[in-house]
Amino acid sequence: MATGRDVRDIFGLPAGSDATKTAVPKRAKPAAPAKPRIQGVAREVAALYGERPPPVAVYEEKKAYRPKRNTGPAKQWVEERFTNQARSDGLVLRHWRRKDEWEKLVAQQQDGDISMDTSSLEVQPIVSRSDFVKYNVEVDMPTFTDEEYDAHLRSDDWSREETDYLLSLVKDYAYRWPVIWDRYDFQPGGAQGPQEKGDSNALSTMPFAPTKARTVEDLKARFYDISARLMRLRIPEVQMDAEQYQLYETLQKYNPHSERNRKELAAALMNRSMDEVKEEEFLLTELQRINMAASRLDAERDELRARLETPIPNPGNAPGLQSFHTSAGLQQLFNQLVAQEKNKKKAAGPPAPGGRLNLSTTEAAGTPTTNGQAAQQLAANRRTSMAQPPPPTPVRQLSPQAEYRFNVSTHDRLTSGVSFGSDKLLKMRQAKSNVQTQKIAAALAELGISEIISIPTSRVAEVFEQLVSKVGKLLDVRKVREKEEGECRVLEAMKAQKEAKENGMPAVEGSGRGNAGSAAAVKREEVGETPRPEEMEVDGEGEEDADGEADEDEGRSKRGTSEAVSTSTRARKRSASVLSQASTKSTKRARK
Amino acid sequence: MNALNSSTAPAGEYAGDEVSAIVLDPGYNTTRAGFAGEDVPKSVCPTFYGYIDSDSGPQYLFGENAIHNPQANLQIKNPWGADGIVEDWDTATKLWQYAITSRLTGPRERPPIRSSANEQNGSGNRDPDAMDVDVEVAVESTEKPLEDSPLLMTEPGWNPTKAREKAIEIAMEEWGTPAFYLQKTGVLAAFASGKASGIIIDVGASHTSVTPVLDGMVLKKGVQKSPLAGNFVSSQIRLLFKQAQPEIQITPHYLVKSKTAVDAGAPAQAVYRSFDPPPHSSFRHHEEDRVLTEFKESVVEVWPGPQRLSVGPNEEIAKSQPGRPFEMPDGWNQVFGIERFKAAEGLFDASAAQTDAEHPRPKDEHTIPKLVQAALASVDADQRPMLLANIVVTGGSTLLYKFNDRLLAELNAMYPSTRNKIIAPGSIVERKYAAWIGGSILASLGSFHQLWISKKEYEEHGVNIVEKRCR
Ligand SMILES: Nc1ncnc2c1ncn2[C@@H]1O[C@H](COP(=O)(O)OP(=O)(O)OP(=O)(O)O)[C@@H](O)[C@H]1O
Ligand SMILES: [Mg+2]
Repeated sequence: MATGRDVRDIFGLPAGSDATKTAVPKRAKPAAPAKPRIQGVAREVAALYGERPPPVAVYEEKKAYRPKRNTGPAKQWVEERFTNQARSDGLVLRHWRRKDEWEKLVAQQQDGDISMDTSSLEVQPIVSRSDFVKYNVEVDMPTFTDEEYDAHLRSDDWSREETDYLLSLVKDYAYRWPVIWDRYDFQPGGAQGPQEKGDSNALSTMPFAPTKARTVEDLKARFYDISARLMRLRIPEVQMDAEQYQLYETLQKYNPHSERNRKELAAALMNRSMDEVKEEEFLLTELQRINMAASRLDAERDELRARLETPIPNPGNAPGLQSFHTSAGLQQLFNQLVAQEKNKKKAAGPPAPGGRLNLSTTEAAGTPTTNGQAAQQLAANRRTSMAQPPPPTPVRQLSPQAEYRFNVSTHDRLTSGVSFGSDKLLKMRQAKSNVQTQKIAAALAELGISEIISIPTSRVAEVFEQLVSKVGKLLDVRKVREKEEGECRVLEAMKAQKEAKENGMPAVEGSGRGNAGSAAAVKREEVGETPRPEEMEVDGEGEEDADGEADEDEGRSKRGTSEAVSTSTRARKRSASVLSQASTKSTKRARK
Repeated sequence: MNALNSSTAPAGEYAGDEVSAIVLDPGYNTTRAGFAGEDVPKSVCPTFYGYIDSDSGPQYLFGENAIHNPQANLQIKNPWGADGIVEDWDTATKLWQYAITSRLTGPRERPPIRSSANEQNGSGNRDPDAMDVDVEVAVESTEKPLEDSPLLMTEPGWNPTKAREKAIEIAMEEWGTPAFYLQKTGVLAAFASGKASGIIIDVGASHTSVTPVLDGMVLKKGVQKSPLAGNFVSSQIRLLFKQAQPEIQITPHYLVKSKTAVDAGAPAQAVYRSFDPPPHSSFRHHEEDRVLTEFKESVVEVWPGPQRLSVGPNEEIAKSQPGRPFEMPDGWNQVFGIERFKAAEGLFDASAAQTDAEHPRPKDEHTIPKLVQAALASVDADQRPMLLANIVVTGGSTLLYKFNDRLLAELNAMYPSTRNKIIAPGSIVERKYAAWIGGSILASLGSFHQLWISKKEYEEHGVNIVEKRCR
């Protein structure tokens, strides 16, 4: 590294000045070794600073070792000989313990008489330890006397011998029933216990397997029965507290039969093959899909209904608003509002000059005038300008009759360029989807409206637009009808199938049916409860049918058709009500 | 003072209280012994032993060094029968005692007649420059070797009553242990993995066993075993070698004096040793098995599934995978392709096993998936999902590459609707010695003190106490 002298050499400074100045660093140098030697990486970092100390002092953090343990002399240990208090045979084992602790224990147990020569194992006292006695737990077992057994616990299926054997196993394996069953191997010793047919108790009616190969459920049933009986014997039912009674109830309610069935089902569930599991997965996703489609359909239908439903006129409620309770009234109100707005906007036509004019008048108001009339006029002017910002422009208002006569039309907004009325009409015929367009065309054709209307005036366009929107409504409603019809058919078919299954013959006449919506709900419930593959398959097909063309399915079954007809009439009624009121939505859309 | 007082054990959960018990886990391949509380067995010695029928009476040679030392007329034997039960109790006793005394209880236990026995050995017809530092001869001791230590022994799940009674008799009468207990390997292997319940799949040397365990108790009806294990895989490799073109010769290490490197597939160029009189043929067989174990460790691979090797394009896929090279002790070497998958396929698919006149096709119900199936079918239906969520894998042969992948694939195919989980210790030691480690944990628990069968109890009730207490 370049020293100061080198630098001076490079700059050609006189060496003499060097001699005079060296005194300063020299004095500094003795201080340098005084500062603590930095070690490791920090030292190299410090070296980069050069000769000059850094502006900020670098401190190496002291490594914090744990303070040394103040151990003192080595602790002494004793190989203690001990007995475990949980054992009755006095087995002596040995383990290592701290001497002080051990001495304390020995003093406790031997009334302070510690023999001096404790190090030698032969004379070492044996201490008794209870450290792990708490792990030596015995299970609670029901107990009974011979008399009690004879009076209450007899069973046709269980000998006394086997009952005792069962109880001993339960005790040995601490109620671990799978283990008890696993080890259960009762060999009736010699002559079987006398099986007197005494009082036939509840157990004898239980469905025990006639063979002696007991199932877990048999064992449990016997044991629980004994426990319950003994419990009742010891504490009369009325005296049991809540907890006891609960236990008693569960003991009594144990039903080996249903348990066995449950277990069989569980085993069957586990033993399904890969294909079955995959199929179930597939069906479940399918079910989910169907459910989603159904709920979507529901939502759509609800929306439609909400739109179709008219509030019931209630004159007593709010007489002032009565006129707005009908949709026709509302429509009128709406039209009124629209017209108002139109007028407003029309009035605002050329706003800029009015604004300036306004400004000038207010300015004029600021100047003192003597003419009282002029001042009045100005004040009035100001008032109107405040209430209605755009002052009326000098446009001659035509009466509606005149407008009609001269075929004058007003527009909110004018698109630039020229457009043809026929284009407009053509556009109206087109819906979003091709299918819909075709359907609209078909409907129009049915109404006898030619594709090209010869004089497409704006009024014709207006009427045509109304017509097309109505046609759209009609098509909507028809679609819904078809869907519902399809659903009804599915339900009918399912019902018929079910009845056929129940009666063993095809059902001819069904009971009165609710509307399709509730039926659909019932159907979904059924599906949810019994996700059996066949049923779901039926459901799936039904859904497809519903999606398909309704016309093809016409006349499939008598009841199906009649149902469809009834639905369709209902639908038609509704569609009529729709048609009576021009949809606000469609007008809005048209405006845009 | 922040110094930890070591005499106050962490309260509550840890209930260790070591009483310097010894845990003995005898297996067909190795016998493991060590002090309870330690994490690996200190003494792992081969269960194979050397036997020389000399003029001065039969000689028994125990320990790794002795049985690999090519001596004249040396026979290699195993006290175990093929079904996983001890056949030759006398020798087994000696061998186990050797396993315990040679490394654990130390020379303190050796009887004074020991030196004379050594001399007797020396005068035997042994090769003087053989590397037999550790070669020892077990001797009947007058002083009992286990007088200070309680003994926990392991047993297979199907151990018959007679064998269990024999075990306690040996421990009490011959070894003089103050307390004894027998526990099943399956339970202990589960303990080693920290499980009290589960289904234990143990693929050892002589047999494979499947043991359902619930709360530390074996569900006896579910215990399954089969002879398809490590030895079976070894014999499969032998068959594969025999069927190879040209036939692959296994030359054990002891026959090779020096070798030179040769190209893959080229005949070996080695200088061989000769022995006169040669060791018994069983010696050579055992030494060959050692080579085969090397082969198993480094080459053999289990086809990982999800389906059997024979299904569909699997063989083609297996063929397209890069092979693995193996070099015999004599320098002969080759890259093994699909063959390496075939050696262990028989464990899972009986129809894929190599067969010849002496080695018939194994039974279908002996394959591992079928064993698990049978085991599960004979336990309570409610326990099955729980057992399948705790599949503990242990035993040396489960170290075969990709073994666990295949096992899981097979189980998932059989039980697609349960959550099947394999628990396999990652370290080799823990996998091989799981039963011993479980025993080490069990015997060092304070709460286990109550379970020991004491000498007094044994004297009172006789040998059948083991049936009552070790359930
Ligand atoms: N890395 C490995 N890869 C494959 N196999 C191995 C590996 N290590 C050991 N083995 C095989 O495992 C077997 C030994 O396993 P283990 O020690 O569990 O058996 P064991 O308990 O003595 O026998 P058993 O349980 O039959 O009485 C031998 O057959 C050996 O060849
Ligand atoms: Mg084993």
